[in-house]
Amino acid sequence: MARRRGAVPGARLRAVRVPSTVYTRGVTPSASALRPLRGLRLDLSHRTSSEEELPAEVARLWLGGRGLGAYLALRERLYDVEPLSPENPLIFAPGPLTGTGAPASGRYSVTSRSPLTGTVFDGNSGGNFGNALRRLGWDYLVVTGALDEPGYVTVGLDGAGEAAPADPSAEPFAGPGDATLRPAAGLWGLEVPAALERVRELHPKSEAAVIGPAGERGVLFASIVNNRGRSIGRGGLGTVMGAKRLKSLVLGGHGDHKPTVADPERLEFIVYEAEKLLKSNPITSTALPEFGTSVLVNVLNQAGAMPTRNHRESQFEGAASICGEMLKKDHVQRRSACRGCIIGCARRTSAGGQTGEGPEYETIWALGAQCGVSDLTAIVQANYACNRAGMDTITMGSTIACAMELTELGLLPGGPRFGDARAIIELAEATAAGEGLGAELALGSARFAALYGRPELSMSVKQLEIPAYDPRGMKAQGLAYATSNRGGCHLRANMLSPEILGVPKMVDRFATLGKAGLLINLQNLNAVLDSLSVCKFTAFAMKEDYYARQLSAVWGEQVEPQELLLLGERIWNAERLFNLAAGFSRAEDTLPPRLLHEPVPAGPSAGQVVDLPPMLDEYYISRGWDEDGVPSAAKLERLGLTETAAAAGIAGSVPAPAGTAAP
Amino acid sequence: MSSAVLEQFQQIGRDLFVAGVISSHGGNLSVRMGDRILITRRGSMLARLEERDIIETGLEENDANVMLASTEINVHRAIYQGTAAQAIVHAHPPYAIARSLMCDEIVPIDSEGSYLLHKVPVVHTELTAGSKEVADLLPRWLKEYDIVMLRGHGPFAIGHLLEEAYQLTSVLEMACRIMTIADGLGEQVKEYRKGSDRYETW
Repeated sequence: MARRRGAVPGARLRAVRVPSTVYTRGVTPSASALRPLRGLRLDLSHRTSSEEELPAEVARLWLGGRGLGAYLALRERLYDVEPLSPENPLIFAPGPLTGTGAPASGRYSVTSRSPLTGTVFDGNSGGNFGNALRRLGWDYLVVTGALDEPGYVTVGLDGAGEAAPADPSAEPFAGPGDATLRPAAGLWGLEVPAALERVRELHPKSEAAVIGPAGERGVLFASIVNNRGRSIGRGGLGTVMGAKRLKSLVLGGHGDHKPTVADPERLEFIVYEAEKLLKSNPITSTALPEFGTSVLVNVLNQAGAMPTRNHRESQFEGAASICGEMLKKDHVQRRSACRGCIIGCARRTSAGGQTGEGPEYETIWALGAQCGVSDLTAIVQANYACNRAGMDTITMGSTIACAMELTELGLLPGGPRFGDARAIIELAEATAAGEGLGAELALGSARFAALYGRPELSMSVKQLEIPAYDPRGMKAQGLAYATSNRGGCHLRANMLSPEILGVPKMVDRFATLGKAGLLINLQNLNAVLDSLSVCKFTAFAMKEDYYARQLSAVWGEQVEPQELLLLGERIWNAERLFNLAAGFSRAEDTLPPRLLHEPVPAGPSAGQVVDLPPMLDEYYISRGWDEDGVPSAAKLERLGLTETAAAAGIAGSVPAPAGTAAP
Repeated sequence: MSSAVLEQFQQIGRDLFVAGVISSHGGNLSVRMGDRILITRRGSMLARLEERDIIETGLEENDANVMLASTEINVHRAIYQGTAAQAIVHAHPPYAIARSLMCDEIVPIDSEGSYLLHKVPVVHTELTAGSKEVADLLPRWLKEYDIVMLRGHGPFAIGHLLEEAYQLTSVLEMACRIMTIADGLGEQVKEYRKGSDRYETW
């Protein structure tokens, strides 16, 4: 197309428009694709199902995925529920972008109360499961109750055009949704890959989420896995599923409820522009596709931010042997991608005659540097052991590292020692089997260290093991861990981006103050991404305006980028309310004592510790919370959470501190 | 105020002047620190900022320091109150100002501008400097666009960091310079961007 000289594009008059502010007034979703949310509730105890509907305003305010999970967790007062009791539900929820063609949007979340942390907890995963749920016409699915005997549940097999196999022992649920309980005699006890394969044999046109032996046996950090290696990890939601004796949730894979997109042409335009960024950014176009997340091994190690030997050091002398370049050279068979993703960070690998998925960077770190192990083949094999059992690799590795330190201190005679490559494989297998020391490791490092009278040797926050970024070498990451609503986690906000990679811009990684606002914006944005549900890696290249414009095209309603961040803030505060109601307070917003008081002994971060209290003060002020970390009345009002807080027993208990800023 | 924050103000203030997008005493910068604002002093020279030129005052409430703050303090406050911005850059880039006198939105034709901006809305008010009208208008637009042009006056850009807002300002001015040069060449502009006819809808 040619443009005439002087013909300024867009030189038309445009009326000044006042954007909507959904937080202070109701939403009128007329003439849009924004619809009420349709949910299916399955009661395992009574074999009943029911359909429920949430107003479109809930979709507008909570999106889906993580946000919807937080909404339901608060509404159903899960903070009063024991995590492994039948009353604790599993909430499966894709997001409004799932299955729409938005980049890397084929994801779904599972929310529950975590048996590991006691907090509200969501995890999300790629693959095809989320899309299958939407195509069955469900925006979310809640599983409550528990089975008397191990079983698995199919949903929508007939509705998807697949006749369920004749099975006299199958027991249809009373109610809608085409849900059927089937005995898991042939599945219970199977490892994850075998279970997924068996389900696929039984139901060829299905998408399944399963647990492995770890979930069946009550390992507190068991995962839920779909599509071979896509895991809902970290907080033990697989343990919750195991407590329900539910081996698998199986969805008909060919539902005909294609997600509605109000303006497909508009979405295609925004996606094209978004993919331009993804294809030109070296992180998303080159580093992650070529090396996967393990590309970070050398980057973090060079910065002196790779925790080593249970965080006693922050540089690992064996990094060159376990880096992404070595993984690619010696173990990667091929790369793979989740549905709808052009990045493709996943890896099919082989090691010692075995094949499997991964490992990711955090796994290499947890089973490698954190345990002082530089044998990459052993790390990959230990990763396979965790994947087969359906266990979180970060918690597994860091708990083994804790055991190694206890051994060195003489508190665990005969225990594993740092650098013992064989031990990481054997202990992962023993943990899954509940044998020997593995039965204690299955508790996670916080409970394990407490058993031996040394709780400070657990490198965890709110009993969730912190991942592969030493906050003494990137200070705001320490604040991110301390304030994460699901415990020590890098996925609530990873300051790797601004402190190491320079995204959006490089900041002084050793600076203590001045970064709370940036962290809060990242936390709020990630809450949005987890609710949409899209992969966070897209945010290496894209800013919030791209997500807002995609959502606007899908809904056919204007969603402004700043409105999206405000929505993320709302979700974050809702999760905070849940945790406050569950008994958490400022006291738990902290780091392991080692990171606060033991300077890094050598390397680029030598001499550094985390001076957390002033960072926490700045963070609370910036959040509009009081000095105890309780949202002010003004903040709750602004976010429309006053009633929610009141229902959780928090309303009116907190006067607004003078000078508190909002938003 | 930490030395790192002062250094950011000094570097970006200097760069704005060297780049020719402010006059000797023009423009202003601010960052948000919780419930406080750090903003350049009224009448300060951004190319020569010292610690005394960075004024700390309340985000919601006035204090004595407001006497020293930039004329645009209320606009900055309103932007912070209405968005998640952590930093604001306001400059007076000549090519962008000139173009704002001729159009209602600026749609770059160069690659960098197209990638980073797509389009920049141009808004106008009767009183252009530090007025309530500007304070009311700009936050609404900045909810959707990270940089907005105030006709005849200059752009306000927001970011999570000062450098981000500066980058947007710089990219806008460069884009406008390129459009001005292209206009002057008097030849037909050959389009090279798929979908650019839709940038106006960004």
